[in-house]
Amino acid sequence: MATLEINDLHARVAEEGGERILRGVDLTVNSGEIHALMGPNGSGKSTTAKVIAGHPAYEVTDGEILLHLDEEDVADVDVDLDDDDYHWNLLELEPNERAALGIFLGFQYPAEIEGVTMTNFLRQALNAKADEREELFEGDEADDADDEDDAGYDTSPMEGPADDGEIGVAEFQEILSEKMELLDMDEKFMQRYLNAGFSGGEKKQNEVLQAAMLEPVVAVLDEIDSGLDIDRLQDVSKGINALRDEQGTGILQITHYQRILDYVEPDHVHVMLDGKVAKSGGAELAEQLEADGYDWVREEAFADA
Amino acid sequence: MSTKAIESLSEDTVRRIADERDEPEWLLEARLDALDALETAALPDVIQTPGRRWTDLEALDFEALVDPLNQSDATERTAGDDEVVVLPFTEAFDEYGDVIEANFGSVLDADHNYLTALSVALFTTGTFVYVPEGVDVEDVKVRAEMNSRSLFSQTLVVAEESSSVTILESITSGDGSGERVDGDRYFSNLVEVVAGENANVQFGSLQNLDDDTYTYSLKRGVTDTYAAIDWIESNFGSKLTRSDVETELNGDGSESQIVGTFFGTDDQHFDINARVWHQAEHTTADLVTRGVLDDVARSVYEGVQDVGEDAWNTSSYQRENTLMLSDDAEADASPKLIIHNHDTEASHSATVGQVDAEDLFYLESRTINPRTARNMLVEGFFVPVFEEIAVDEFRDDVEELVVERLQ
Amino acid sequence: MSSQDHLKETNTEERFEFKKEEKSAFKSEKGLTEETVRVISEDKDEPEWMLERRLRALKHFQKMPMPTDWPEAPDLSEVDIDEIIPYIRPDIDVRGGVDDWTELPEEIKDTFDKLGIPEAEKNALSGVGAQYESEIVYQNMQERWEEKGVIFCDMDKAVQEHEELVKEYFMTKAVPPSDNKFAALHGAIWSGGSFVYVPEDTTVDMPIQAYFRMNSEGMGQFEHTLIIAEEGSEVHYIEGCSAPKYSAFNLHSGGVEVFVGEDAHVQYSTVQNWSKNTYNLNTKRAIAEKGGRMEWISGSMGSKATMLYPSTILKGRGASDNHITIAMAGEGQDIDTGAKVYHNAPDTKSTVESKSIAKDGGRTNYRGLVHIADGAENSSTAVECDALMFDNKSTSDTMPYMEINESKVDVAHEATVGKIGDEDIFYLQSRGLDDDDAKQMIVSGFIEPITEELPIEYAVELNRLVELEMEGSLG
Repeated sequence: MATLEINDLHARVAEEGGERILRGVDLTVNSGEIHALMGPNGSGKSTTAKVIAGHPAYEVTDGEILLHLDEEDVADVDVDLDDDDYHWNLLELEPNERAALGIFLGFQYPAEIEGVTMTNFLRQALNAKADEREELFEGDEADDADDEDDAGYDTSPMEGPADDGEIGVAEFQEILSEKMELLDMDEKFMQRYLNAGFSGGEKKQNEVLQAAMLEPVVAVLDEIDSGLDIDRLQDVSKGINALRDEQGTGILQITHYQRILDYVEPDHVHVMLDGKVAKSGGAELAEQLEADGYDWVREEAFADA
Repeated sequence: MSTKAIESLSEDTVRRIADERDEPEWLLEARLDALDALETAALPDVIQTPGRRWTDLEALDFEALVDPLNQSDATERTAGDDEVVVLPFTEAFDEYGDVIEANFGSVLDADHNYLTALSVALFTTGTFVYVPEGVDVEDVKVRAEMNSRSLFSQTLVVAEESSSVTILESITSGDGSGERVDGDRYFSNLVEVVAGENANVQFGSLQNLDDDTYTYSLKRGVTDTYAAIDWIESNFGSKLTRSDVETELNGDGSESQIVGTFFGTDDQHFDINARVWHQAEHTTADLVTRGVLDDVARSVYEGVQDVGEDAWNTSSYQRENTLMLSDDAEADASPKLIIHNHDTEASHSATVGQVDAEDLFYLESRTINPRTARNMLVEGFFVPVFEEIAVDEFRDDVEELVVERLQ
Repeated sequence: MSSQDHLKETNTEERFEFKKEEKSAFKSEKGLTEETVRVISEDKDEPEWMLERRLRALKHFQKMPMPTDWPEAPDLSEVDIDEIIPYIRPDIDVRGGVDDWTELPEEIKDTFDKLGIPEAEKNALSGVGAQYESEIVYQNMQERWEEKGVIFCDMDKAVQEHEELVKEYFMTKAVPPSDNKFAALHGAIWSGGSFVYVPEDTTVDMPIQAYFRMNSEGMGQFEHTLIIAEEGSEVHYIEGCSAPKYSAFNLHSGGVEVFVGEDAHVQYSTVQNWSKNTYNLNTKRAIAEKGGRMEWISGSMGSKATMLYPSTILKGRGASDNHITIAMAGEGQDIDTGAKVYHNAPDTKSTVESKSIAKDGGRTNYRGLVHIADGAENSSTAVECDALMFDNKSTSDTMPYMEINESKVDVAHEATVGKIGDEDIFYLQSRGLDDDDAKQMIVSGFIEPITEELPIEYAVELNRLVELEMEGSLG
């Protein structure tokens, strides 16, 4: 079982005099669990998500984000591992290294990238993940691995060596078809450019598809439910449940609305206020928030203080 | 360019102009420096492509065009408000001498080129507009009539912090006052705008000189932090017009818009230039020019968006569209992007075309006669620029001139 | 798709960067005098009229100014013709090129092996020419084309064997020496290059490729390419260029003339990867007759400074032109390139698509001219330039010129400049791509709309060079 552990996290906007946004977030998400993170606008939910993934616009001023892995999370790594390889301080790592270890961020507003097809992008992401894991777990030993290209100039500009990278085209297509079917996505998606011209709903579906392909240990989904009609909401929910049920992914779902929680039932619900987790509880907490709003949580939190 | 030396010009000429106007010593010095600069200054740059020079300023006979001591104009200036100063320089020196001295020539160097030097050395008319801090005026108007062979005009606008001003100038050829001038004429118009912090200056200019006149006009503004300068440059008259409208965005968060229109008929030649230099952070520029050409008229357009190395977070846009009504007209265009900072969103576009045949047919099929249909479409073509003109009166004037030319 | 992916594995850098020891049969003195010109002509045993043309060109060269008065012109102050070795004849027995790679001296054969030329010839080309220093060393074309009357030979050989054609077309109609200083230089000391003649109604279905290699330090390469495509014919010519990097400057000043006959179709593709001490100052021009179609595809990745504006004169009714240019400038590079199109007849069409990438202090400029002559009614032109910038040390300029003398036309120009977005990079990073890969992916996406229109073999080579450039600086 993997665990994402956030302790006393403080962060601010990374510029001179940048606003302090996170003021001591504590949160633990285990793989296989579904957590909902709720709270009013500006309470720091999206910032928490971005900081976990390593967004350069925020500076962490205090606290830590740790990722603990266990045997099954590193089953693909075939070198001897020492204890360090199971415990990672994410704040020391680049966004792509965090991704390689199994942290996935589903964006509220996914980037649109012209000219890069979905197929090309996903294959490259999968291959990059494999390469990066090799480097992370094997350290410097792996460096010689890609120096076999010296023979390159013996080939013509129109031909090339047969080696096709880590994941073959056929294998890739197979994985992809399977995941797309699960999400009820049209195959035509794959020839389109990454998010370019996608509707709001298609973008969100695409985020879940990417999570399914990359098989993260913890997926942080930032308002994955906003802008979805009811049919898409059901597709997306099905995808999220499958992430948990079939891959054992831990889900941290950031949302404004009770609606998606009807389809993706959370094990834990947290309420963020003023840059902190002010209250945690079970699924019933979400219902209470839906009915009563956030004010009572604030009052309770202040009363405690 | 010594080949352009004008024999009738001497230090004495310049001194006489300054004397008659009872000008302070520093201005006489500035005029004499400008006179010296004529020795070395070159004519304004014009675009050249293999085998072609887009505008031939070399062909102008300045010896014949320039008659410095017989300049005459009738200029009407209205401030519309007591808080703003709108005066000829000669009446402003006493009270505002310091402000004038501090700002005159601060935006435009007299030795910028041969024609600017000539203008500074010889100007006899023009306006000083002073908008003190926080003052907000909308109705400054300067209506000038040129009544001599040559006329040199110099305008200085100083808008202090958080002030706001709209200035409309118009230039026409006079008739009746004084003797009629036969033959070619020359009008030169330099405008400097100093926009202080958070100041907002809108400067509209409408040129409708007669078709014997050669016109040189250079308007340049400089912005402080959060300042905005919006230019509207409309050219209808004159035989040959060289017009440059330029903004240096020197203050963070400052903005500029340059809206241009022209309408050429007969053998008119317009050389229209819009330039903006982004030299501070978060600056925005929008250059929009639309022109129509009929008969054997010709237009030359250059637009420059120059983004400096320190101009972070720049937005810069440029559009130029020319509509050709005649087969014998010519439209040349060169929109340029010079980008030294990558944190920039910039684009430009330019088109040349004729009235859309489908549109024409559609209107005709609705029983509108071809001429009227064409005119409707031409007016329609100008609408996007009219919409950028916030001052109703000015927009009406421009529209009227368009309609007049379509008759 | 998979063929492109393979190629990522190849070490492109080594393919271009190796140096060979200089061995030559004849090497001229540095510099340029009438004597130099006479020596070159004599060494080639040329007819008198060619010597005369060379000497006339030399006179033009001596009179003409450097193109330094252009707005924002690249810095050519280092280009001192007197420091250039204009002519090096490689040490081979057969003038005009052998037709069997194994007959070449080992070090020359090895050079082209490394560049992958013989392999490509086997698989996908109708014919191949290979120039080493100043002369063609290998030239071959499939027999079936020869039977149809297609000529593909060394330009020097063409002067001897196809004298009438060469005399008629060589620097007389398309690129006169008086065109610009470097065209004049080229006219005086040109050497090598290809001559292509395609008879009426003949379609050469696989491309012909020529590869130009400069090996010696301080040399100048001045190859001349003349393509004559007769009525209704079709041919695709690909040229590649490279050189190892030296500290002294090299000069490449090629001349290309293309004659597109009625309803003929010529595609001219260039992958330019000169070393970053090379000044690449070329003149390329095509004349298209009625219904003819000219396509220029240019990828400019290498060189210290490039000034290249392939031109098409649309001379006959209904002729058309298509330009695709991709330019990439890194540290110390100034890639000033574009397109020129003259619409001199009715119903002519042109399109220009330009993509440029500036990074690490490099400069790109799109400099282009579209001229529509009076009477060229129903002509249309569309120019689209997009630039991508990496940092504020770099410069990206766009300078189009439009001269429209006709009203019944459709003229459009559009340009954009943007940066690589931080949010886009973060998005890709969050999916596991490292910073370099993320940028590279965005760049590939940026040029994708153009590469998808390219012939596959060209697109593959181009992508590889783009990747190489990206790796070179971002690591």
